[in-house]
Amino acid sequence: MQNLTLGHGAGGRLTAELIESIIGTGFSSGPGGDREDCALLPEGLAVTIDSFTVTPRSFPGGDIGSLAMCGSVNDLSMRGVRPMYMAMGVVAEEGFSGEELENIMRSAASVCRELGISLVTGDTKVMPKGQVDGLLITTCALGRPETDRTLGASNLRPGDAILLTTSPGRHGASIAAARYNLKTASLFSDCAPLWNLVEPLLSFGSLRCMRDCTRGGVGTVMCEWSEQASLGIDIEEKLIPRNDDVHSVCDLLGFDPLYLACEGCAAVAVAPEDTEKTLVVLRSNPLGKEAALIGYVTAEHPGMVGMRTLAGGKRLVDMPVGEMLPRIC
Amino acid sequence: MRRSGYDPETLSEALKATIDRPLTFMEVCGTHTVSIFRQGLRSMFPEQLRLISGPGCPVCVTSQGEIDAALRLAAKDDIVMATYGDMLRVPGSSGSLQEQRALGANVRVVTSAAEALDIAVRNPERETVFLGVGFETTAPATAVVLEQAMRADIRNFSVLCLHKAVPPALRTLACDPELAIDGFLLPGHVSVILGVEPYRFLADEMHIACSIAGFEADDILLGLLDLVRQVRTDRPDVRSMYPRAVRPEGNPLARESMDRVFGRTDREWRGLGVIPLSGFDLQGEWSQFDALERFGVSVTHAPPPPGCACGDILRGRLDPPECPLFGKTCTPASPVGPCMVSGEGSCAAWYRYNKGGNAQCRI
Repeated sequence: MQNLTLGHGAGGRLTAELIESIIGTGFSSGPGGDREDCALLPEGLAVTIDSFTVTPRSFPGGDIGSLAMCGSVNDLSMRGVRPMYMAMGVVAEEGFSGEELENIMRSAASVCRELGISLVTGDTKVMPKGQVDGLLITTCALGRPETDRTLGASNLRPGDAILLTTSPGRHGASIAAARYNLKTASLFSDCAPLWNLVEPLLSFGSLRCMRDCTRGGVGTVMCEWSEQASLGIDIEEKLIPRNDDVHSVCDLLGFDPLYLACEGCAAVAVAPEDTEKTLVVLRSNPLGKEAALIGYVTAEHPGMVGMRTLAGGKRLVDMPVGEMLPRIC
Repeated sequence: MRRSGYDPETLSEALKATIDRPLTFMEVCGTHTVSIFRQGLRSMFPEQLRLISGPGCPVCVTSQGEIDAALRLAAKDDIVMATYGDMLRVPGSSGSLQEQRALGANVRVVTSAAEALDIAVRNPERETVFLGVGFETTAPATAVVLEQAMRADIRNFSVLCLHKAVPPALRTLACDPELAIDGFLLPGHVSVILGVEPYRFLADEMHIACSIAGFEADDILLGLLDLVRQVRTDRPDVRSMYPRAVRPEGNPLARESMDRVFGRTDREWRGLGVIPLSGFDLQGEWSQFDALERFGVSVTHAPPPPGCACGDILRGRLDPPECPLFGKTCTPASPVGPCMVSGEGSCAAWYRYNKGGNAQCRI
């Protein structure tokens, strides 16, 4: 394969290729080898792992500590797994501020406390200056599935409703705003653990699958679902919950909110007859108060996602490719 | 989003009711190209309207030789290359800035010329080179920053000045008999600076309808409707359908700053060849900030990648899917030509919003 560029880490098509070429070197994926973020293992266990690095480390609405916990918690939650145990690796650069590290760990611990998760093992490394950019955190979360069913895109059927739990893009827009010095006093990352939000949905037999829309955003999740299920998805732009600050940042930098990272926004697919019931449950939690039906699965155009735009036109939603870069003008 | 007060679907109906023969318009600006796709506007056009994409993506019209010069500069030791993000992935004759960064070159993404100057001020032990790319949108910012650098006597800052002027390129396109353009949808951002008059020759001398448009769906449809009306009444004009941002006189302060700092020179555009007096360059006392001069690098003509049709696409002679490389060897993941690289390039937009150019009819 070609040498790695930052585009391979951006969550789109290149990341998918990178993962395939890693697995292709001779690994057996074993049980749970269905390319989901969280693996369902025998004997009622499930596991996920994720590494976190973010610039800046602290941003409106969170920091790398809360991000590292929420990321792994949400990967488990989306497959109906109650997060119970956490293992954490911390790689820090020589000279890293002890006070900052404590603050970051405090923020990580508060996420674990909120959900009754124990930190059971971990590892720390300090690297010579310049060999790591500040701080790198890896979290591995373990839990037990609270449903007998395997949630995943292969459950999708034509007619299923696609719901979104909140307005997309707030994490990506907050980071971009901080990185490019844009002042947006009312914009906060959506970084939040989603277990309590989605747990009540697990009793619904009509629940097909859930995904947190992290790197690559809502657009990427829709594309992956339609490809994995070999079905089409049609969404309506006017139904997608909208955050004006996110749109302002996107207008300035030339980004599309559909592809901006979220850290507390999930896509949920349910059988159409349970749409209302699901929305009521989601909206009863503050994290889901903006939850909305945004579209449907269709047997038309398998593998492709269409969107009716605000203007009334129709466009294709494709996977983003490479690093999102601010445009020239 | 609706800022003009008109409903896009009503405008689309009006466009269909007004057009009375096949017309070819060109949207000059890459931001328009992307906005049209992102909002699915093509599905709202009348069949008789053909809209071709023009050379309005600054990344795309940067010539191969200019990109090679940027790569040679970035490869030098102790240079920080500060660049707008979308220049990172443009392939030169060998490699791109992104690849050089992966190999250790100090390439930083900035969103303004001021940020580049800031890097120079904070790193006095190193030379910072700003890759000055763009039209009359970004050129004034470069001019203002150079004036600051001159006043503050900042000696470790220089600019690879590749800025280009839009009106001379429009003249070249308007004169192309193969294109037979009936109207230009003129760029909103560039016109904020230029105002209306610099385009006047298009209507008066060349009898081409011109309408300046904003970037929301209603702005674009309103601009197109205005073009159709100008053609129907046979009264070509230059009209601003974007009055909330574009004043008739433009921004005289920004133009004055550009006039103080930049000279004009003939410059090569990818696809359009050398266009007389279309380049902004650093002359006289300003040449001390010219990165080419400071580091002894020159821009030489280099051929475009073999088989790449970016040139014909930028001229509007081909639609992206008509390029033999499109969607095959040239994709956003491994672009051959710059139109597939930039977020605002026609090929990338066609690819992204049409799944390789053939999905529009299926969704």
